Amino acid sequence: MDNIKLEVKKFLLDSFVNESETGPIEDETPLLSSGIVDSISSLQLVAFLEEKFNFQFQPHEVDQDNLNTLNLIEEFVKAKKG
Amino acid sequence: MIDFSLSKEQESLREEIIAFSEETLTPGALDRDKAQFFDRSLWEACGQLKLPGMLVKKEYGGRGLDAVSTVVALEALGYGSADSGLNFSLAAHLLACVVPIQLFGSEEQKNYFLPALSDGRWIAANAMTEASSGSDAFNMEAAAVKGPEGYILNGHKNFCSNGPVADVVLAYFTTTPGKGFFGGISAFLLEKGKQDFFASEKVEKFGVRTCQMGEFRFTDTLIGGQGLLGKEGAGGMIFNTSMEWERICLGALHLGAMEKQLEKAISFARTRKSGGKSIASNQAVSHPLANLKIQIESARLLTLKAAWKLDAGKPAGMDAAMAKVQLSETFRSFATQLMQLYAGKAYREEHEAQQLLRDAVGDSLYSGTTEVLRNILATHMRLK
Ligand SMILES: Cc1cc2nc3c(=O)[nH]c(=O)nc-3n(C[C@H](O)[C@H](O)[C@H](O)COP(=O)(O)OP(=O)(O)OC[C@H]3O[C@@H](n4cnc5c(N)ncnc54)[C@H](O)[C@@H]3O)c2cc1C
Repeated sequence: MDNIKLEVKKFLLDSFVNESETGPIEDETPLLSSGIVDSISSLQLVAFLEEKFNFQFQPHEVDQDNLNTLNLIEEFVKAKKG
Repeated sequence: MIDFSLSKEQESLREEIIAFSEETLTPGALDRDKAQFFDRSLWEACGQLKLPGMLVKKEYGGRGLDAVSTVVALEALGYGSADSGLNFSLAAHLLACVVPIQLFGSEEQKNYFLPALSDGRWIAANAMTEASSGSDAFNMEAAAVKGPEGYILNGHKNFCSNGPVADVVLAYFTTTPGKGFFGGISAFLLEKGKQDFFASEKVEKFGVRTCQMGEFRFTDTLIGGQGLLGKEGAGGMIFNTSMEWERICLGALHLGAMEKQLEKAISFARTRKSGGKSIASNQAVSHPLANLKIQIESARLLTLKAAWKLDAGKPAGMDAAMAKVQLSETFRSFATQLMQLYAGKAYREEHEAQQLLRDAVGDSLYSGTTEVLRNILATHMRLK
């Protein structure tokens, strides 16, 4: 669980984010509102989080407030895992 | 384990639907298509077999089919029924409206809506597209503002299949401007007669012509909070899920139609004579048909695999895109080839090949254009 941010960042870089184009992905880098993660790739992110951390998103949880930065993602995953 | 055979239940489902639709839906279909006439009594007849609710769980009044069996059933409908517009109406109702209600509705909504949407009493329409947002659907202008008595809806939706005949409308509005897909869109279930909104007459269109397409105008339409499907902000994911189901299952109708027309084309090619022999004996005629057989089978396998993923609860976005692109491109080349085969006969008369060609054009537009679906694939392939 401590490595949530690292795991997510690794997934983003392995899947669809190229830091040479987006600049470095930091804990507070906006991912969705900046367009780094678009609606199609966000679905891949959702599928990754569900599988990796073994929980289910409710449709309204696919929200900027939960997914816009690595920090928010970590907070959300921890809350879901209780 | 891979088993490509249909189960006994699926075989009898297929037989039942083909027999029903050949007997009930096909007579007069070409005339209705020409007149762009939707016959509600035929919808009600489909309702007797619970076809409009084929994948609704039995406890909510449906037939309880899974996604793979839904593909089998829709292919049988496309094969047996020449009323392609009615077939399309039914699939749009089922996949873009009934599926999201079943997956995301509250117990109360499911008990209220699903029985009447399954047995032919009610028809549903899905309202997403706007004049300035088609492929860019989440960039919509229609907005819902929360007030003391519920939500006030304002906006104009067009291209809505079943719009003029719908009793229930699943419509999407922005609830948090700026958030777009990521929590900014909400889905609302409206009922004609209960909420105050305008539904247009049918608009004339090119294909699937017995399906009635229209527009909705919402002007300070009030809907209570119970009209929300899912929670506020869930609309993006709800719409996306419904489109995945539609991309995967709706094309099964066209697989059925192509299979039926291929049989007729083969029989025509074997009996039509040129230079004293059947035209089928020319490779120039037989090879394109052989190629189409391969393409249809490829589209069917992609469709069934994608449907299997839906049933297994696996991410199916990429499979949905592949299946739909393969199917709609096959459909278009099939229809063009058919026009070439029947030649002057199909060009001059009101002919099934013409109907098929008009239907095929639309298939690369709705539920994601072929270009947008290739964008989805490219993203999955890390090309974007
Ligand atoms: C038969 C039929 C039934 C329909 N039923 C419904 C319905 O029930 N409910 C509903 O809400 N809507 C419905 N629609 C509308 C349909 O969803 C839209 O037509 C579709 O989303 C495309 O939008 P558009 O027509 O505005 O084209 P646009 O989005 O304006 O696209 C124009 C062209 O640009 C291309 N393009 C657009 N964006 C991109 C991009 N990012 N990359 C590459 N190419 C791009 C498109 O592929 C297309 O070729 C229906 C349409 C048809 C034909």
